[in-house]
Amino acid sequence: MNKYILSKKLYRNELATFYSFLIGFLIALAVGSLILFIQEKNPFDVFSLMLKLSIGSVNSLSNSLNKAIPLILAGLGISIINSVKLWNIGAEGQIFMGAIALNFVYINTSINNSQIYILLLLVSGFLGGAFCILFPAITKVLFGVNEIITTLLTNYIVFGLTIYLINGAWKDPASLNFPAAAYVSESVYLPTVLGKLSSGFLICILFTLIAYYIKDKSVFGYEMRIAGGSELTAIYAGISAKQKAFFAMLIGGGFAGLAGAIELLSQTHRVSTGISQGFGYTAIIVAAITGMRPIGIFLVGCLFGALTIGGSVIQTIGVSSYIAEIIQATTLFGALVAQFFFSYEILKKDEND
Amino acid sequence: MSSPILEVKGVSKTFGNVKALDSVDFFLQKGIVHGLLGENGAGKSSLMNVLSGIYLPESGTIKIKNQNIQKMNPDIASSFGVGMVHQEFRLIESFTIKDNLTLSKANIFSDNFEEAYEKYSEIFTLNSSYLTPINELSVGEKQKVEIMKLIFKNSEIMLLDEPTAVLTPQETLQLKESLDKLSQEDDKTIVLITHKLKEIKDFTERIFVMKNGKMVAKNLETKKVTDQELIELMMGEVRTSNFKKDNKKGDVKLEVKDISLTNSEQFKSLEDISFTIQSGEILGVAGVSGNGQVELANVICGIEKEFQGRVLINSQDVSKKGVKSRKKLSLSYIPENRLGVGLAPGVSVLDNSAIKEYFKASYGPHLSKGKMLGYLNDLIKQFAIKAPDVKAEISTLSGGNMQKLLMGRELISNPEVIVAAQPTRGLDVSAVEAIHKLIINQRDKGSAVLLISEDLDELFKLSDRIIVLYEGKVVKEVGIDSATIETIGYAMAGINE
Repeated sequence: MNKYILSKKLYRNELATFYSFLIGFLIALAVGSLILFIQEKNPFDVFSLMLKLSIGSVNSLSNSLNKAIPLILAGLGISIINSVKLWNIGAEGQIFMGAIALNFVYINTSINNSQIYILLLLVSGFLGGAFCILFPAITKVLFGVNEIITTLLTNYIVFGLTIYLINGAWKDPASLNFPAAAYVSESVYLPTVLGKLSSGFLICILFTLIAYYIKDKSVFGYEMRIAGGSELTAIYAGISAKQKAFFAMLIGGGFAGLAGAIELLSQTHRVSTGISQGFGYTAIIVAAITGMRPIGIFLVGCLFGALTIGGSVIQTIGVSSYIAEIIQATTLFGALVAQFFFSYEILKKDEND
Repeated sequence: MSSPILEVKGVSKTFGNVKALDSVDFFLQKGIVHGLLGENGAGKSSLMNVLSGIYLPESGTIKIKNQNIQKMNPDIASSFGVGMVHQEFRLIESFTIKDNLTLSKANIFSDNFEEAYEKYSEIFTLNSSYLTPINELSVGEKQKVEIMKLIFKNSEIMLLDEPTAVLTPQETLQLKESLDKLSQEDDKTIVLITHKLKEIKDFTERIFVMKNGKMVAKNLETKKVTDQELIELMMGEVRTSNFKKDNKKGDVKLEVKDISLTNSEQFKSLEDISFTIQSGEILGVAGVSGNGQVELANVICGIEKEFQGRVLINSQDVSKKGVKSRKKLSLSYIPENRLGVGLAPGVSVLDNSAIKEYFKASYGPHLSKGKMLGYLNDLIKQFAIKAPDVKAEISTLSGGNMQKLLMGRELISNPEVIVAAQPTRGLDVSAVEAIHKLIINQRDKGSAVLLISEDLDELFKLSDRIIVLYEGKVVKEVGIDSATIETIGYAMAGINE
């Protein structure tokens, strides 16, 4: 009798992650087409319209890239935390916390030099994100509490805090029935660089390079890899696995917090529930698709930003914007299944082996 | 003699290139306690796994209660009344004793559980209500529940794999009494697997001995066999050394003074250990695994910090120092657990090759890949490591090459003190030879070597002196010239001459 067993491939194709993404994306387009077909729309028309309205002009392209900023930054944070094989599901909360921390500093300080002020506000956003993941990090390191649960739960806490603040202490009377905090002064808006493209995108490029450096070229990244591979090996090597996990989490949280700060300073200009539209969750998809590689996160983040913009504009021709989310989610699903087949092979095995 | 309740003939089982069982014969008489003796890796557990249907042998016949069994599996074994207690408990921790005992579909006491529980908890001197959850029991009590589980599913043939390893001396005595009662009153057939001589003599009526996958002695009568005979059977012949022992010794490089280690359950895993090793000397540490070897290595290398006593490297007290500063004082550690401690699984060959001295490839926070690669290429050349793709995961290397990478990484800097634990375990003959040459070569360069091994051949071949660890104590220390297999074997088994 023959048995079939799954065996991990020893050697993986260097480009396996890229191919997996392509396969996933093609499957997603096929699924999207099928749904559009059922709705009696011509998939080709819809997709070409999406393409045109998301990257067809300087304006639409800058809209798409603006949407990509929070996805990329939060995704980078997730990938840094994953270096020690931990999962950050709390990027959404960290984004909000970044914006809240920024607003807190903004209300309580005043600096005339707007460039220095913007820098200070961005730093407070980063620290806010790090603060948000502080408690999951402490409970993980001291008591081994599963970080997936704690980071997920902090999302709800921070969202509740946001609602409380914009309905209470920070409520802007001028915003009437729509609960939101007061707008920040125009002097601290992030300037645009090209069309509507926010200079936050440049920060985003810089942080992509920083994340790449931390993960691939630094001593800290090396120590995180060893700690992520085996805690016992880390102890044997004199590396504190707990310390690495702690700092990886804080840095990763900070990246997402920075995303919230940039979103506030360039898009919403105030704390409201609109700071994030699920960017923190989509960022998990972006990071997972790319196998946690910073450059890949940057590229897929841009694509997903364009998809989001494309999805929102096709509503004008009566197609639901959910088609974009379906494509994003199916890409992840297809890519993960493809990655599985790149990493494992099915072998026929004689039972007596 | 009546015909055996269980009979195994010519059973063989191979894993890869290793013959775990080599045409083994084995038989059991109803109602008595049998002992199965052998060193670690002799094939005892493999044989038991065949009997309980977990491994399917390549050849041989199994006969239980005069019935030939064609294709054994756990269900068939269970229906023929074969039950096994594994070394790792298989209890559901959050369930009560009762739930665990009655979980099996073969449970025979579903109607009169309380009566049966009363009877057997008395036999096992288990003083807990059956409503107690397992996680509130001590290790010894869990062991009792494990054995009772076999009774509750009506196992007539009970295979106990190293049941005393986790027990205190009192609990061991209690276990002996319980097993005696079970064999006499309930007519149970019991197999006790162990490598402890004293227990096999105390517990059993008949003894089988295994070595290197072969059954070397069958059905010996316990009362008539001497300790010395058993040790010779278990350890076999030791080949004489083929390395010259005319090495020059120098200053004391490693000194260990009055080391004691108490774990969280107040169990002393190390007690008053002292020794010195000179430059150019190999001190062998013999002992059955689990007698404090891992703990000793961890204390010396700075991984275990909560110990009493002192560790000196080059006359410098390092007792309070961490792993990295000890490494800077020229200490290398080759841990017993190759993949998982010495090497990080899932991480590349390149990253693993730098674990000892990655800080030498760094400039501030920057880590130079070029320097790491250069260092790895030196290792690959000097230690003849076959590594086809250095960016691939470490598990792409064979066991021998992994160990060469690990040894090379720890030895290339020519350390003054080396702690090597089980450096050749699981390797094939040529790899073993290569590793032995590396150790001797390092000795001749003037390193002080602490060699922890369960393989007596290896210890006799390489060591200049041997100490024996038993239950965390040094029970014997001899120079290699006056060491004999018997004296070491006795000490390993915890017998004072």
